[in-house]
Amino acid sequence: MSAIVAESVSHWFGSEPALDAVDLVVERGDHVAVLGENGAGKTTLLRILATALRPSSGKLEIMGLDALRERRRLRGRMGYVAHAPGIYGALTAEENLAFFCDLRGADRARVPEALELARLTQVARRRASELSRGMQQRLAIARAVLHDPLLLILDEPDASLDAEGADLIAAVMNGRTAVLATHDQALATRLCQRTLTLRKGRVLGQGSRLRIVQ
Amino acid sequence: MTRSIAVAVAIARKDLVAEWRTRELVPALAQFVVLALVIANFGFQIDSRSAPAIAPGVLWLALVFAGLVAFGRAFAAEREQATLEAVLLTAAAPAAIFAGKALAAGLLLVLCEAVLLPALALFFGVPISFGLVFAVLLATVGMAALGCLFAAMVAQLRARELLLPLLTLPLWIPFIVAGGQAVQVAMGADGTMDQALKLLLDFDILFVVLTSLAARFVLDD
Repeated sequence: MSAIVAESVSHWFGSEPALDAVDLVVERGDHVAVLGENGAGKTTLLRILATALRPSSGKLEIMGLDALRERRRLRGRMGYVAHAPGIYGALTAEENLAFFCDLRGADRARVPEALELARLTQVARRRASELSRGMQQRLAIARAVLHDPLLLILDEPDASLDAEGADLIAAVMNGRTAVLATHDQALATRLCQRTLTLRKGRVLGQGSRLRIVQ
Repeated sequence: MTRSIAVAVAIARKDLVAEWRTRELVPALAQFVVLALVIANFGFQIDSRSAPAIAPGVLWLALVFAGLVAFGRAFAAEREQATLEAVLLTAAAPAAIFAGKALAAGLLLVLCEAVLLPALALFFGVPISFGLVFAVLLATVGMAALGCLFAAMVAQLRARELLLPLLTLPLWIPFIVAGGQAVQVAMGADGTMDQALKLLLDFDILFVVLTSLAARFVLDD
């Protein structure tokens, strides 16, 4: 069974199509990079895959579940890193993760492990608002894997990250199905076996790692 | 059920910790209610005979406007930090998320009431009885439920500051009518308080149930 099967998924913002009949199949364990210019529809596609947005039309099945009807069940099995870190500035890094453990019903014992993975142990007790943008992004990535999801949806997680940050992305993607939107072709080549290129909401092409290099 | 309670408690605790550390809302609201009482004190000719007639209206006006600010902030802070989506994508029940937000906002309003009621006694010379406090607390429950639901509904809209009072105030009228009656009786007017308190309790039950059911459609869709 495929991890993601999207058939003719479209989305309009008003009269403007943000996604136009996108087809996508992602097998379990696959890492797929979504490429494209600004405004190509990458974020819209990823938000639909993460169940944050309902498509205007089309069919979407994720992990064998209907992504339009069984959104809550699916959310328990996937992790999503949005373009903005979306963390609570008044809470410490540790408290941010503990809070999301409580919401997900995950064991709080996973917090130190997640902080270690994101190399944030040293700043665990600092308020998130005092962390650099890159540290906040690493915290958001650590939060996405607190509940050990099967599927990761990553929307430009490399924004504001240094070279070590790319290693963190590789570490969290390892052993999971992942869809990664990025502008960084080198990162896409390094981390993903397949690509989906969008332009103006349409699929321009799908390819393999070899094709990205070419 | 236990899981939903745990989620609601986690959300409320997070909001209260954030408010304790930032002190964004409660000090400003406390100043606002005291200033409202000062203005009312100068605006009306208050003596021992007129005070019990004027004080209930001033109390509810101050409470309603403080409530609009408190409940509006409940979701505005999430919008500013782009955190609401992360919370909704955790698979936690929307009703539990909503209950946690309403609980925290309601408790913050209760803190303002702890300033408002003694200040009302000071400026207007009216007695603050157990019945009065109970009536205000009962009204706060229902007002918090409705206020937070509409705050969630308008959080992503551009004209949210205008829309929140327009949507919320008409549905708060039952609380103001029943609560106003209870407060007037507590301040010496004729009538019985029991009926007004029972009515407030009925409204609380009705609106807490309705808003919990509606939360799913507002937060998730």
